[in-house]
Parts: sequence; C-alpha cells; structure tokens
Amino acid sequence: MNFKIPIGPQHPALKEPISLRMTVEGEVITDVDMRLGYNHRGLEKLAEDRNWIQNIYLTERICGICSHSHATCYVQGVEKLMELAPPRRGLYIRYLVSELERIHSHLLWLGVAGHEAGFDSFFMYTWRDREVVMDLLEMISGNRVHYAINTIGGVRRDLDAGQIAKIREGIVTLRKRSEYYFYIGANEPSFVARIAGVGFLSKENAVALCAVGPVARASGVARDVRKDDPWAVYDEIDFEVATADSCDVLGRVVVRVKELLESYKICEQLLKSLPAGDIAVKAPRKAKPGEVVSRYEAPRGENIHYIKANGTDKPERLKVRAPTLANYPATVEMLRKGFIADIPLIFAAIDPCICCAERTVTLIAAGSGEESVVRMSDLRRRAIARHQNAPVKRNAVWPL
Amino acid sequence: MAALRTLLYLVIYPGLLFLFVYSTFCEWFDRKVYARLQNRMGPTHTGRFGLLQPIADFVKLLAKEDVVPEAADKRLFTILPIIGLAVVSTAGLLLPVWNFDLAAPGLTSFSGDIIVVLYLLSLPTLILFLAAWSSANPFSTIGGARVLTMLFGYEVPLFLAVLGPAILADSWRLAEIAAFYQAKPLLLLTNLLGFIVAVIAVQAKLERTPFDIPHAETEIVGGTFTEYSGKKLALFRLTFDIEMVVSSGLLAAVFLGGFPGGAVIGFLHFVVKTLFVIFLLSLLRALTSRIRIDQVVSFAWKFLAPLAVLQLLVTILLKGLLS
Amino acid sequence: MKIAVFLPELLRHLFKKPATVDYPFKKLEVPKDFRGTPYLNPEMCIVCRACERDCPAEAIEISSVNEAEKRFTMIIHNDRCIHCAQCIDSCPTTPKAMLMDSLFEIADDDRHKMKKDWIYVRAVLKPKAAAPTSVPQAAEPKA
Repeated sequence: MNFKIPIGPQHPALKEPISLRMTVEGEVITDVDMRLGYNHRGLEKLAEDRNWIQNIYLTERICGICSHSHATCYVQGVEKLMELAPPRRGLYIRYLVSELERIHSHLLWLGVAGHEAGFDSFFMYTWRDREVVMDLLEMISGNRVHYAINTIGGVRRDLDAGQIAKIREGIVTLRKRSEYYFYIGANEPSFVARIAGVGFLSKENAVALCAVGPVARASGVARDVRKDDPWAVYDEIDFEVATADSCDVLGRVVVRVKELLESYKICEQLLKSLPAGDIAVKAPRKAKPGEVVSRYEAPRGENIHYIKANGTDKPERLKVRAPTLANYPATVEMLRKGFIADIPLIFAAIDPCICCAERTVTLIAAGSGEESVVRMSDLRRRAIARHQNAPVKRNAVWPL
Repeated sequence: MAALRTLLYLVIYPGLLFLFVYSTFCEWFDRKVYARLQNRMGPTHTGRFGLLQPIADFVKLLAKEDVVPEAADKRLFTILPIIGLAVVSTAGLLLPVWNFDLAAPGLTSFSGDIIVVLYLLSLPTLILFLAAWSSANPFSTIGGARVLTMLFGYEVPLFLAVLGPAILADSWRLAEIAAFYQAKPLLLLTNLLGFIVAVIAVQAKLERTPFDIPHAETEIVGGTFTEYSGKKLALFRLTFDIEMVVSSGLLAAVFLGGFPGGAVIGFLHFVVKTLFVIFLLSLLRALTSRIRIDQVVSFAWKFLAPLAVLQLLVTILLKGLLS
Repeated sequence: MKIAVFLPELLRHLFKKPATVDYPFKKLEVPKDFRGTPYLNPEMCIVCRACERDCPAEAIEISSVNEAEKRFTMIIHNDRCIHCAQCIDSCPTTPKAMLMDSLFEIADDDRHKMKKDWIYVRAVLKPKAAAPTSVPQAAEPKA
C-alpha cells in the first residue's frame, strides 16, 4: 500500500507546527514533502518599528530555548555597526551565559530524544538535572528563560563571588550526571537499538546539503563557528570541536554529550580568568548607516543575522537565518528509506526549533522597486534553472 | 434464590464492581511505582495519596463528548469496547481465588480452564485490531497492523511458558495447579525461567513499554485509539486495566503458588501476589525504551521462544525424574 | 551489550525523596534580583519618559502631565509587561525611580484588572532647587 501519512501540523511528536507529508510503502518512507510557515509571526517586520534596545528583547523571543543566541548575535552585529568595544568582563559574562545556555539546551534535547524513543525514565532524569542549570541562570539573570542579560555595549548584571561559587558547584554536579548519561545512552540495549543506524546522512551529503551544527559534526564534518571564526573570548579559550563518525542518530547523541563536557570545561576556564572592570559601555541611540553580518554558534548550529542601519534609531532591515532552517534539506534526505517508527527520532535528532526557522523571503525588483512574496517552490525552480548552465565559480569572493 | 446469588456474584464480587475497584487500585499502584522510580511524585491530592485518581480519570472520560467519525463502521465501532470489557471480565471470573475449594468447585473451575483463560486473554488483541480497522484513519490502520504483527511475536512464548508448570503439575485446571505447588513449594523455583519469559510476554500483551509500539504516542498519535473518545475510550482503558489484573492473577496462580487459605487469607494472598507481579511490570516499563516492531518480532523469536522451549525441556526432564 | 544497565539507578530512586515540589501547596524561593513586576517609587521620578520610550511592549503610559501643579499620571499595563526590566535599566535617577519586585503570580481573568494607575506629583532633583517641590501626596496607586 502506497499512501501519504501526514505528520503535523498538529502531532504529538512535534513541539511546534510543521507539516511533513510522508509517502510510505508499508513501513518504509519513500518521499517527504515539507511545508513550513505555520509559526510565522512577522518578526522581521516588527523589528523595523522598534529601536535598537527594544529589538534586543524582540530577537530574544524568536525562540525560547536558544533565546540568548539570537539576542547575542543581534547585539554583536549592532556593536559592530556602532563601533563599540565592550569591556572584557562584560564579554566574559555574556559568553558564560552562552555556554550555560548550550548546557541547558543539550540536556533538554537528551530528554526529548529519550521521550521520542519511549525511554521516559531517561527523559525525567535529564530534565531533573537541567533544573540545576535553570536555577543557576535564574540566579545570574533573574529569569529561567529569556535571560535578557545583553545590552548594547555589554551586559546588564554583574556576578559576585557567591554566585561564582554556586556556578562552580553546579558544574561539578552536572559533569558527574552527564558522564552517567553518556554511559546509559551508549549502553542501554533497547535505546541503542532505536538510535543506531537510524537517520543516515553521509559526509558528502552533509556538506552538499549545507547541514550545520551537531548534525554536520556527527557526520564527521568538523564545522564550528567558534573554531572557524573565533571572536571575542573564543580565541583565548582552549576547547575541542566534538565530532563523531557514525553519521546516524547515535552519533548526534554522542556529539551533543561531548559538547556538554566541553562546555563545562569552557565555563570553568571563563570563571577562572574572569577579569575585573566594567560590564558595559554606554551606547549611542542612533547607529551610523551601514550593514553587518553576524555569526554565532547556537546550540543547534550556525546562526546568522544580517542588520542594515540607515542612521536612525531603528534598523532598516533585520534578517535572521536560524540553524534549523539550514538543516531542513538534510532532514528530508535522512528521512528517505527510513521506517515510520523512526520519524520522530530522526526529526528530533536535528533538534528542531521550528519557530526559529519561519521567515519569508521578499523579492524586490531592482529596477522598479516593487516587492513580491514568492513561494519556495518557485524560488527553487528559478535557482535550478539559473545555475544549470552557469560555470563553476572557484575562489569566489562574497561581496559584502 | 440461586439466581439472585449468581447475579450478585456477577455484578458485585468477584464480578464487575470488584474488578473495577481493584483494577483502578492496581493502576494507581502502577503509576505511583513508575513515578517513584523516576524521582517524581505520581498521583497526589485526589483522595488520600491520589488513590481516587484513576477513578477520576474514568469519570472524566465518561463525561466527554463521544465522536464517531463519519467514515467509520458505526455498529462495529460502538460495540467493540463493550465486547472487550465483557471478555476480560469473564476471564477474571476463572481465577482460582473465589473457587479455591477443590472438593466443591463452582461453575468456574473445571479441567481445561487455563486454556480458556489464555484464549479469553488473546481476544482483546483481535478486538483492538477490529477497532483500528473500523476507524478508517491512516494512523489507526498502521496501529492495527502493528497489533497483529506483535501478536505473532509474543503469543507463542506466553503459551509455552504458562503451560510449563501445568505439565509439571499434571493438570489443566488452575485450582489443581495451584494446590500442587502449595503442597511442594520448592518446585516453584524450577519454573523461574518460565516466569521471566511470561512476565516479558505479558508486558507485550498489555502493550506497555518496551512493547507499546501499537499505540506509540509520539509516532502515530494514538494508534488504535486515535478516533476513540468519551465513553468508548473509558471502556477501552478499563479493559486494559482489568486485563492487567487478570494477567497478573494468572501468573500468580501458575508461578507463585496460587492463593491458599480459604476466602479471606486467599484474598490477601491474591492482593499481595498480584501487586508483586505488577511491581515487576512497572519496573520493566521504567527500565527500557520502546523498540520497533521488527525488533519486537525478532527479539521474541530469537530470545523468548527458545527460552520458553528450554523451560519446557527442563520441566519434562524433571517430571521424568520425579515419577 | 549489557542488560538492564539502568536498573541500580532506578531502584535507588525508590527510596529517595521525589524531586518535584508540591506546588501550589509548597512554593520555592525566588533568588535575589528576580525580575517580577515593575513598580514606581514616586519621590524619585523626574518624568523623563525614558522607560516609556524603551519599553519593548509599550507597557508604560505617562499622560496628563500638568506642569503647573507638577502632577502626572502613569499607567503600568501589567498585562502587556514582558518582565524584561529594561525600564529599570533606562531610568536615569539614583536611586532609581523604577523598581522591580518579585511577584510572579499575577495571573487574572480580566486584563483590565492588571493595570495599575499612579497619580503623582513630580519630584525635581536638580541640586540648585532650594527646596524640593515634591509633596508625595496622593501617591497611592489607584488599582
């Protein structure tokens, strides 16, 4: 029997609405039709009406789990536009919260993977230990989600000695628990039977389909923005990029747990060498005209923000390219030839943050200046037609 | 007079009302143990220690709107939960708790009743498949196909494992099997392998983790139960609860030495032994993750069936030695 | 391939206290500097309107500023507030006029009940003013 099963937009396996219409034969998937847009909120348009400070909070609310990633990526870009140099202490605190967010996101993901596989005890235990990190973040920033610790020019709150001691204690506990989860995740026979060999993405496909984050690193592609393009504190910190070679969901679990252990190392180094000084510089209200592209390694992969300023106190254009959007074509490839029973695991293994990925593309005709919104399928057709006959570009320089 | 007594037996004890109350108590016990294993609290606040929570869930479901999809076969869709409930309640009547007296057996204890119990317990699987088929929904169809595929896996090991002690006791009557092991309790240890196989197979029959693939919530929404709501869903869930009580009662009767000691002491034995089996089932549920349907069948035929056959060989050799 | 690796950990938890807190019968303490609901300290406010300008959710509304009698009305829309505390960071006075408390159980059925009105007399903080003209009368919030 060859029929289509709709996964979504409403489905218990998905935390957010997305439509995946799978064509199946028996239990094997032959094709996937992915439709986005159910969670579109018009954030890029809203950003044009708010000033630079209000936009910090708007970009933070693009996502709940990776809220700090979006806010930091935006603030990095605006600081470049305004030519500000935040003080060292502010930068250290900002990236300490980044690593704490990475820890919380990976522990959350481990629980979600366990739940999708039916391993509810693992889910309950990882989320119980995630409470340690949430309490630390609440102590540092005043809120468990949406930390809002960034301001243009630095951070808003300082750390005192008592808080630093508590963070160190928390990291010791978490490190012990993470090593235990590594042991369980790799050794519990029913769990390994579900995740080994599932969702295969070869190294060539990972590069060709532009996968980012742990999805690419589990296929052996050692791509991490913190190492490829180090900025702020990352060239002073010693850490390794976690990769795995098995190209399946087990590899992605291994990569994320290894990243957890690396994050603990990074946090400890940041706390040890925390410099004294101010935490922020005063930012002007208006930014000089210009445009900037800001990259950041979110827990899910590479996050890119493009900001264009025109001299007023509001941005002219903000464009967000979230990592999950880059992983969608790789997901379609992974789902082919899989079983229906593996759909939730494969989809959860890319750590989907669907609300991050819902953006539109507006085409502006250069001559007349008129705008139109185009469907993805039309864009794809136009791109394929255009590049079919174009020669291969070598050593191309990206004009920006 | 006899008709009135039979009616009381059927409706109150050991019939519907007793099974309803006891199965909700067992569901509470299962949920509480599962929660404590996961470092959580489980049901609290509804009644003392949350004891009334499963009854509250049942009452809530009864009050919800009952939707029958237009493309579904209405008569089959409606009657199947009632048939399921009837089947497992009848199986409950055959347990050797309330017909323990070998000299004066009631109507429900006869030679061959172990086979009748096993047969009545495999009917709910077919009823689930028919419920899935009559729902006319792609998720239900997949769920129904998986239910039958799993049946091919666990049914044979379960039968082999349960019939092993019966062969040693030389009888097909539950009360006699229980009496045999009460006279010679040491022989219970020879059936340990069969007990393990039977516990795993019963977990598959009840469709709990690691074998809950037919109604896996994160994959196919609800499997067989996708289209059921309101009263019909309440009756289906009650059917599963009573099936859990009856299966653990069967395992306790065959592997744990039955329920000796008359009406009151026998009833206490029944409660303690079924709660022990349910504790093992909850432990198994918290311990593992869900495995895929092809892995269930290959696991059943590669491990469970050979172990059950091994247990049978041991039993036959022992019987030869003893006689 | 090990069987039941998880079992010792599971059985150990049978005897431990549960990690869940029995909310709402028991509550957890919030840390210091927790971002709850904003409120105004009327004596320090100089009506610079920085909080109104920087609020991302347009939750602060300052109206009917009366220069002669030095009175103004501020409405804090707690149903729109996103608890980001930017108003406190933008407030230029020392000590700050806009403050944050730790209330977070402010849910209500009617959004209009969540707005808070304050009628103040404005404070003047410039040091060359001989006597401060702040008379903090009618400073109770009209809820």
